Amino acid sequence: MQRDGAREDAVRASRLPLWMECIPPGVWVILVLAAASLVVAPMLESGKRADGKVMWTFALMHRTMYAPILNEWNRTHDEDMHVELRLLGIPALERRMMSGFLSEIPTADLIEAERSIAPRAFAGPLESVGFLDLTDRIRAEGLDEAINPPSFIPWMSRGRIFGLPHDVHPMMLAYRSDIVEAAGIDVDAIETWDDFAREFARVQTDANNDGTPDRFALNFWPTQVEALEALLLQAGGGFFDAEGRSIVACPENVMVLARMGEWMAGPTRIAADAQEFTAMGNQMKLDGQVCASVMPDWLADIWKTFIPQLEGKMKLMPLPAWEPGGRRTSAWGGSMLGIAKSAPDHDALWEFAKTLYLSDEVARALWREGDIISPIRSHWSDPMYDEPDPYFSMQPKGRMLIDLADQIPPRASSPFGRFAQLRVQDALYKLLNYRNSRPDATRAEMEAKAAELLANADAQVRRQMSRNRFVGGGS
Amino acid sequence: MTRAATALAGASMPRSRLAPWLLLAPAIGVLAIFTGYPLVQSVPLSMKQTFGPGATTWVGLENFAAALGDPIFHKAVINTVLFMIGSVCTQIPAALGLALLLNHPSIRGRAVLRLLFFSPQLVGLVFVAVLTRIAFEKSTGIVNTGLHAVLPMWSLEFPWLEKHVLATLVLASFWMWTGFHMVFFLAALQNVPKELHEAASIDGAGPVRRFWVVTMPAILPIASFVTMLSVLGSLQLFELPYVVFAGGGPENRGLTIVTYLYQTGFESGDLGYSSAIGWLLAIMLLFCSIIMLLAGRARHA
Repeated sequence: MQRDGAREDAVRASRLPLWMECIPPGVWVILVLAAASLVVAPMLESGKRADGKVMWTFALMHRTMYAPILNEWNRTHDEDMHVELRLLGIPALERRMMSGFLSEIPTADLIEAERSIAPRAFAGPLESVGFLDLTDRIRAEGLDEAINPPSFIPWMSRGRIFGLPHDVHPMMLAYRSDIVEAAGIDVDAIETWDDFAREFARVQTDANNDGTPDRFALNFWPTQVEALEALLLQAGGGFFDAEGRSIVACPENVMVLARMGEWMAGPTRIAADAQEFTAMGNQMKLDGQVCASVMPDWLADIWKTFIPQLEGKMKLMPLPAWEPGGRRTSAWGGSMLGIAKSAPDHDALWEFAKTLYLSDEVARALWREGDIISPIRSHWSDPMYDEPDPYFSMQPKGRMLIDLADQIPPRASSPFGRFAQLRVQDALYKLLNYRNSRPDATRAEMEAKAAELLANADAQVRRQMSRNRFVGGGS
Repeated sequence: MTRAATALAGASMPRSRLAPWLLLAPAIGVLAIFTGYPLVQSVPLSMKQTFGPGATTWVGLENFAAALGDPIFHKAVINTVLFMIGSVCTQIPAALGLALLLNHPSIRGRAVLRLLFFSPQLVGLVFVAVLTRIAFEKSTGIVNTGLHAVLPMWSLEFPWLEKHVLATLVLASFWMWTGFHMVFFLAALQNVPKELHEAASIDGAGPVRRFWVVTMPAILPIASFVTMLSVLGSLQLFELPYVVFAGGGPENRGLTIVTYLYQTGFESGDLGYSSAIGWLLAIMLLFCSIIMLLAGRARHA
């Protein structure tokens, strides 16, 4: 008994304090690490919000261009109005923007959004759009007149404007002048795409006699969905009308798709796939496997950077029209500057947005650094746009683009834009299958098939839209 | 045991019961916040049309009905099931064959070969997807140029990424996962008692007979596990088509259920519909798991 008591005392004496015994050493290690993380993590956080304003952009070139204006703005304004510019990849910007808008938590004060992502913010009720409605400010200050009107349309939803346009992005046709001139083609005689297909067919060669040309007239394929949309817009078609209704099956789209089918399959094939932003596509252009490509202003800078060997071997011409006397350009891409509705000081942010986007300095930098035409009409008389461009065989590229800017087609935005784009792409793929199975199909047959496929695509788009009770009307 | 010891044990019992929960608490907390809560929330979300907390409409089972009548969803389901069949039917036999080969003592450089077959796992799925995109390109891809070099009648324009999308995905997945499954089979084969093989040999069984009566029954639990992994993984395919085709590919030939879920939820912003698709996928996964478990039990019995 005594021995038991002694053992009990000994055990009690050797026991750790209760609070230590309850929590085993392993848990202590975890708790210490967790506490350390809580202390250290905030110190490591690099994305700490600045005292002033934050602006997100997606393009390195934009950040470089804006730096002098930003520095000047920060020098002449109080610290709470200083603007810090942050560069984000497009997917990151899209996710952060939409996460902020959907969860109603603050994002950056100013967001520069690209055309493929901005319409996502328009999918809800008008009052839920995360961007500030700029319509009244723009109209009151006459900016709707000063800026090329079609440049506003991509940033509009239900008649309201949510962004200040950054660009115009008119398109031309860039072609290998060395090859085309050697083939004796007079590009001035080309007015329509049918003229182009007929004349440029002469540059196609089949050196190894395997039945497939090793040089094609045109760089175009269903994979290039933005270019596909641009050509539909050029014809007066597109995906949505100004009220946001689907026009996927409109007669203009049917006509364009049928001709594209003829370009890409069967005995009339003139097109191949030399995609932009890929090493393989650039090599195909360099090797002359494709002779002509549709080219918005910004793409000229990409070619100069990644295919400098083509300097002096390229020329530009207006896009061939779809019908005689038709539109000779279209538009591809674009970005805007929006103000987050959740941001404080809307008036001050609006002043900053105008300072940044309407400045002469940015207009010049846009052209010098990125071959991009300013959307502000008063800038268009600047002699810099008349300078010859060595890359394009000393043609005055800027003036040629500006001469076309008035013809830019309206490009209505929709949160269903990506969905419609994919459905029309599917229709084109199916049309190519049809053409491959019926190489002798007439144009009327191609148009009938295109109409059937686009009607199906249109039904899918309308079905998708009808599910949205906020925008599409829903049941 | 003395009374004192019993008393001590009794006294320490609540403390020792507390310890495992304290150890588990961080993991439970993380799971509850990042898995449990979203899982529960996704049920009402699947019955709503929503654009942020300020714009929400209750639609009942409309999202589920829409998915069941949606031809694109049907296409995604068919693609996913075909991919699953293609993957499981190629990867599992190939992995087992490789494991049998590399388990054979007479093969030289087995360690190097194991590493070689396992290596796609080391570089990751996105890297494999990027290489797949390059390798299967028309004209310039190594697959078409290689096949054209060996078989001159093979067209350099063979449209792997346009018309043979599922086949391309199955091949890329084969490259990625066969070595991974092989490791499981190797581990299982190394645990098959040699005595059983010796006894079967003495009884006159040849290599094929030994495989069926000795090896297969011994590795069957692992084979079932690997097959289940492969089936469930295939049904959740996302990264590969997402990286190779940036979506569903031409004519949605590479669209899978999870890719469609992503498109509807994160590209179209239709989170309610996306949640409904997620739950339909969960039901499919549950169904497959139950079938496989029942099949396993039946075999065991």
